Amino acid sequence: MAQRWGMTIDLDLCTGCQACVVACQAENNIPINTEENFQQRRAIEWIRVERYWEGEFPNVKARYIPVPCMMCEDAPCEPVCPVYATYHTDQGLNFQVYNRCIGTRYCSVNCHWHVRFFNFWEPKWPESLKQQLNPLVAVRSRGVMEKCSFCIQRIDHAEQSAKLQGREVHDGEFTTACAQACPTRAIVFGDLNNPASEVAKTIASTKRGYQLLADLGTNPAVVYLKKIDADPLPDDSKHKYFDSSQYTRIKETVAVG
Amino acid sequence: MRRRDFLKLVAASGAGAVVFTGCDLSQFGDGDPKREFQIQSAVDNPQDFALGRDLWYATAYSGIAGGSGLIVRVYEGRAKKVDGNPDYPLNLGRSTALEQSLVQELYHPDRIGGPLKLKGDRGSGSYSALAWDEAQNEFNSMITAGKGSTLLITPPVSGSEAAAIAQFTKAIGGEHVTFEPEERIVLREAMRRVFGSEHLPTFDLGNAQFLLNFGAEFLNDWISPVHLSIGYGAFRGGAGGKRGRYWHVGPQLSATASNADKWVYINPGTEGLVALSMAQVMTSQGLVDSGAASSIYNGISLDDYSPDKVAGKAGISADQITEMAKLFAGTKPAIAMAGTAAAAHTNGLFNLTAVYSLNYLVGSVGTKGGVMLNPDSPLPDVLPNMTVGTSYRDWKPIVDKIKSGGTKLVLVHNANPVYGLPPAVGLKDALGAGAKVVSFSNFLDETTTQADLVLPTLVTLEDWGLHVPDPGPGYQTIALQQPVVKPFVDAKSFVDLLIGAATTAGGSLPWKTNEELVRTIVGQLQQAGGGNITGVDDPKEYFVTVQGQGGWWDTSKTASAAPTAPAKPTSAAEPKFDGNGEYYLVPYPTNSLSYGEHSHLPWLQALPEPISTNVWSTWVDVNTSTAKKLGVETGDIVKLTSSAGTVEVAVYMNPSAPTDTLLVPFGQGHVIFSRYAEKRGENPFELVAAQTEAETGALAWAATKVSIKKANKKVRIPRLEGSVPAYQLEEFPIIEVEAAE
Repeated sequence: MAQRWGMTIDLDLCTGCQACVVACQAENNIPINTEENFQQRRAIEWIRVERYWEGEFPNVKARYIPVPCMMCEDAPCEPVCPVYATYHTDQGLNFQVYNRCIGTRYCSVNCHWHVRFFNFWEPKWPESLKQQLNPLVAVRSRGVMEKCSFCIQRIDHAEQSAKLQGREVHDGEFTTACAQACPTRAIVFGDLNNPASEVAKTIASTKRGYQLLADLGTNPAVVYLKKIDADPLPDDSKHKYFDSSQYTRIKETVAVG
Repeated sequence: MRRRDFLKLVAASGAGAVVFTGCDLSQFGDGDPKREFQIQSAVDNPQDFALGRDLWYATAYSGIAGGSGLIVRVYEGRAKKVDGNPDYPLNLGRSTALEQSLVQELYHPDRIGGPLKLKGDRGSGSYSALAWDEAQNEFNSMITAGKGSTLLITPPVSGSEAAAIAQFTKAIGGEHVTFEPEERIVLREAMRRVFGSEHLPTFDLGNAQFLLNFGAEFLNDWISPVHLSIGYGAFRGGAGGKRGRYWHVGPQLSATASNADKWVYINPGTEGLVALSMAQVMTSQGLVDSGAASSIYNGISLDDYSPDKVAGKAGISADQITEMAKLFAGTKPAIAMAGTAAAAHTNGLFNLTAVYSLNYLVGSVGTKGGVMLNPDSPLPDVLPNMTVGTSYRDWKPIVDKIKSGGTKLVLVHNANPVYGLPPAVGLKDALGAGAKVVSFSNFLDETTTQADLVLPTLVTLEDWGLHVPDPGPGYQTIALQQPVVKPFVDAKSFVDLLIGAATTAGGSLPWKTNEELVRTIVGQLQQAGGGNITGVDDPKEYFVTVQGQGGWWDTSKTASAAPTAPAKPTSAAEPKFDGNGEYYLVPYPTNSLSYGEHSHLPWLQALPEPISTNVWSTWVDVNTSTAKKLGVETGDIVKLTSSAGTVEVAVYMNPSAPTDTLLVPFGQGHVIFSRYAEKRGENPFELVAAQTEAETGALAWAATKVSIKKANKKVRIPRLEGSVPAYQLEEFPIIEVEAAE
């Protein structure tokens, strides 16, 4: 059986440090996100760490969730691509062919996790910083969508090495850049179809697993492990969750941009 | 590189094999092919050229106190990716955003390409290029003229660099001072007072069941973020039996505090009072041995600090103090930790000693799941432990001596004290007063632009070194730093320059180069025996083995802790604040930019600060209801005024900010420090009043009060929030949560 690459992200271990974010940028030649990129809401982060407020001082919490591409089994981004630039590999990867992409951005509109990014400009690096670019990863040009690939170059490399040695790829033989960096080991990557893999064993051994927006029925390959809260906020905490005044504020901010 | 240039070079090569180590002659160096290109036979080509494969080299980073072991992916002579060294005991293959960004330091577009000589006025940043021969001659003549009155400023150093500096200062009769975040100076003194240890401790978080942290940013920007994060992962993962519980006590829901199960707000600077009150509860209720408590808190009458007496001062209820005390005493093993802003008060040392002493009460010193002390270096004479930072109080006579002409030559390496010390110290003016200044920096920053001569030095990935991490992992450990790529610009090793200068000044140093120094010390390590390399007799093979694994460590060489605090306890003290403003000012180091020393790295500038998600700027966190009261909202510019100065920053409405506290991140406000940092945001040190910690003299940077005034201007703060919502819908949570068992 072919692999189905997947990931578990234990939200009880994630500290929001974002080592994964920079590790991904270094590995995958992601352009430097300038101040203007953030102002225009066009920062490219193949994996980002979202922060959510709960409550208000003094009964308040901030929670973190790293969000890479979910690599959905039935990915909504795939059928909408008019040129088949977005396709599904036999290993369950939801993939982007850059030189096929014509930039309609339909895939981005149809992705509920907002993990597809459009290159509105030609990516630019000062000449010297180009020395750092990873030769195994294409630099995407203007007009092209890009997204997390589960570090496909590392998958390829491991598969080629295994093939040359006449064996299967071992679990843990390689991992994605984000999982490799993660100081608390919150991110685990591996083959979901291999019951002996750490990622499969993690999912099998916990009741905390859930998929983000699972109700949409896309069957993401990223499985989150619920955050554990030993000391929850009092139920009457002000604005514990959604608060309409906050929503208005956010709406206004977006409208300005 | 143009095709024509390529063909010329091929023609120039006897072997016909060309190896590229630089591809843009116009941008870097002087275009001298000898430096930019390496022409050699295919037989001698590095493996990555011969096989077309990438290679990983082990090295080490010492830029943060604990440092880390690294592996660096090198492809065609260029460093491509930095990761943690899986063998190195402190970080076991893991890394931070900062370590990942070391490649940007190496290939930074504003890195100084060669020696510079001041052309215009000091501070103008106007320099002319200089050949190394001339630069070294000039440097040597300055050394000769400044003999006996030279001051060297560096960050805290250890190992081979510390050994070289010791020999250098001895040869020229100079003085060495170190510049580090002031709160660490208090922390080091607290370790001496409480544990009798000259080194920072580590914490066996993985085996602990309860962590009570008074303000230390241990997951982000403290003494050893990766090592402690690995421990935190094990702590939460139940390595100690079941999932560990973490309570955070302090005036700010910081990036670290947000990971706690519970954040207990207390007024700034009252950490020590709360700790004493907890001790009072534990002893009076018989939860711990009261005899031990009286020896630990010798001279302090704990009954004066009962919860009802402390609660009002700390802004917390007496019941909460009692609950914390019972939890701490009843959940074993438990660790009490304190640092960062808790140390940056006029009573910072008391805060820290009172908190760390709690560990003795519950038997958590030198035991599984407790505070682990670190031993001395295996070769303390040739491989010294980390030097200790210079406190704000001690900077004053140093600055006065420079100003009065008592110091004739000032050398600065890898430190930017003009930016990092409050303007009241007067270092900038002193440097302009007459002493010659030489900077060994790679970037024009606030201190380097005061220099007469700039001698750029190799960065982490280009140089040799042996480092004694502080804190270590609880046993003797040495990290080996080796060059993984050839120098990218025309820079030299700092240690090589020191050795050269010391020799010129008549000194006789036992080594001629930094590499020789490193090799010599590794040879001495081999002779001393022990460590994780056994059965290797050949010195060359021994060195290669140390190189390959990125260091040397001996798990059997630990430090034993005294059964009770050897303490010279500090007397209990309440915090004092400067100014009449209505609000406490709590500046804070961020996980990416720290105190501003990493602001030149664009990946770190673009990394959202975890709590606010803001990037590329300075802001002030204002509580949502306080903001409404002041009539401001996110993006509004406000004026913050203290007795030391005024700055204008944008408001970020932060629902976790205390109502009477304004939080401002460190990191920005550089006048000059590369295209990515200069003229961006504000430096909160400009607001910090010149108050010091009573005993250590360290700057109490969290002891200032400020007033706030609307400035009727508005900006858009660049941030991630907005691209993603700030709150979840209760019906459709993004982060699902379950109760602890």
